[in-house]
Amino acid sequence: MSLVVEFLSGIRRFALAQNGEELRKWLLVENNVPEHYFRLQAELKASFPDNGSDALEKLVDKCLPEEDNVSDGKGSPWPGFNALMKVYFEYWRDVDFTNLVNLHAGLSDLLISCANALANPTYGAMLLQTSLSFSDSLSKLVMGLTRKPELIAQIQGGTSGDESGEKKSIVELAADVIQKIFTSCLTDRSSNRWSPPKGKKVAVYLFANLTLKLLFACDKSRLAVQMFTNLSTSGPALSLYPASQRVTFLYYLGRFNFDYGHYFRAHMCFEAAYRQCPPQFLKHRRQIITFWIPSNLLLGRFPSLNLLRRPEAAGFHNIFFPICAAVRTGNFVAFNHALAHSRDWLWNRGLYLTLLSRLKPLVWRSFSRKVFLLTVQNENPDGTPSKKMAALTIDHLVTAASYVQKLLEGYLPLKPAPRARPAHINTIFMKAVTNSVSDAESNSLLAPPPGGPRHLMPTEGLIFGNKRPDHDNIESILAGLIYAGLLNGFIARNLGLFAVEGARKAGGNPVLAGWPNAYQSIMERFKEEHEEAATAYNSGESADPPGDLDDVPGWVQKMG
Amino acid sequence: MASAATKDDKAPASNSKPEAVTEQKPAAALEEDDEFEDFPVDDWAAEDTEAANGSEGTQHLWEESWDDDDTSDDFSNQLREELKKVEASKKR
Repeated sequence: MSLVVEFLSGIRRFALAQNGEELRKWLLVENNVPEHYFRLQAELKASFPDNGSDALEKLVDKCLPEEDNVSDGKGSPWPGFNALMKVYFEYWRDVDFTNLVNLHAGLSDLLISCANALANPTYGAMLLQTSLSFSDSLSKLVMGLTRKPELIAQIQGGTSGDESGEKKSIVELAADVIQKIFTSCLTDRSSNRWSPPKGKKVAVYLFANLTLKLLFACDKSRLAVQMFTNLSTSGPALSLYPASQRVTFLYYLGRFNFDYGHYFRAHMCFEAAYRQCPPQFLKHRRQIITFWIPSNLLLGRFPSLNLLRRPEAAGFHNIFFPICAAVRTGNFVAFNHALAHSRDWLWNRGLYLTLLSRLKPLVWRSFSRKVFLLTVQNENPDGTPSKKMAALTIDHLVTAASYVQKLLEGYLPLKPAPRARPAHINTIFMKAVTNSVSDAESNSLLAPPPGGPRHLMPTEGLIFGNKRPDHDNIESILAGLIYAGLLNGFIARNLGLFAVEGARKAGGNPVLAGWPNAYQSIMERFKEEHEEAATAYNSGESADPPGDLDDVPGWVQKMG
Repeated sequence: MASAATKDDKAPASNSKPEAVTEQKPAAALEEDDEFEDFPVDDWAAEDTEAANGSEGTQHLWEESWDDDDTSDDFSNQLREELKKVEASKKR
């Protein structure tokens, strides 16, 4: 008996028994297989060369006849299954593991064929394990290929575009096929959304996670939107699935929400993932807190020492503590230094630009608070308590911001500001530096550095690169902080003031009233936005119901 | 062809405890790979996680009140001096 026939008789046995695990163990596709797979390959090349003959198809159909009377619990080959077996043999006949372009084409065809066979409502489920193994192999290959642009060009040069002439990337193509399998599992009717999964439904989150892993590895997370929408609409409850699948799914859902600026949703996902991940999975917990900490920073909460001392947070203190210290003190120079210090680490995780731009409002909040503390006059000149409304003079903030901008540009102190000048400083040199400063600069304690101010990148400056903060800039920043709820008060334009509101309510403490707790303010603003969305929906202005405040689209938690 | 099955003979892991298959790695080795790896076991009991201890396990992980009222640090002193000097020059 030929090896091909022997192989098919084994496959038939497993198909009749619906033994998905054995099918997966036999339908191997990687090159680390026993030697007889290569003998099978030689036989296929010799007996079934690629000459347009239908001999291979006929042999498969002969060896895998569709059963007429199938008893309960038993299975049968079906046309899609036989088509898959033909493609499987063609794969082995043509595969060249040293040629990744060829390998990619073969594996893609195989997975598409497998997805088609899996869609069979009666017997398709027996191919779940095989689908998972093929998907895994193709994902690994695609993730590797994304680092080889010359090979990507070869593959994409050979694919045809869609109707609009737009070509999909190999990541999109692979994700499309895996999502097709995901959809097959999602629409399986063996069980409903709220009962323990049966049939293909058991693999919904396995394929979701595999798709997400591929998309995130290739920086294509936006392509996951449709999958999350489908899960929200008809997905089974996540709590019905094993812990490893739950934690992995919540990790990726958290990453997705982080990427799209939903930091509260990201926080909820990471918190649930972390809490369900046992402490001994140190590496997984570390991956989770790598993004959980930034999510909370952006919500106005700092990691506690309790968290930073945990084993999975080893080394994180050095990264996050200086960032928190800079935000706390409103020190932009320290903020830029703290981010620059960990730039590579943050950049590689896609965190650098997000923290640089999105934490700035919190630094501005602390900075304006500091300037208020430095300039507020609670007393009249005669020592009696002032009855004037507490306010921050916008020009004071302009002065302080201009000072900081100069520090960022490398300006140097003309004299050490608060202390007496040390004896060793050369006064003639200091005079020369002072004299070289233009009139406009002469009121400052800082002088331009030798060689001129440092050229700043747009994000490095307070406003935009080397742009000097002026009254309008600062007024608009304050307006933004008020809108975000980080400052409580209003801008009195004719007086050039930010007037604090609610000081009496805050026990006469204008700082507490004007600069409310950052985290609570951000959460308050989040709730207001949710209420606005609910009002818009109820009045018919918006077609999308906002759901509950703690809903995360894609995370199926309770009966809808 | 049965030997085809020898490649992967991983036993079903759903009942095994995660402790049995993992070891704590030193922190230095943690940065090698940033992929969220597959878990070595499929499922584990809720008792093995912090979620089992109610919210206690994850309390005190975040600091909400972190405002800095210190105006005697170097940065504050520099700002104070600058404000003084610029304001004084405006009055001249």
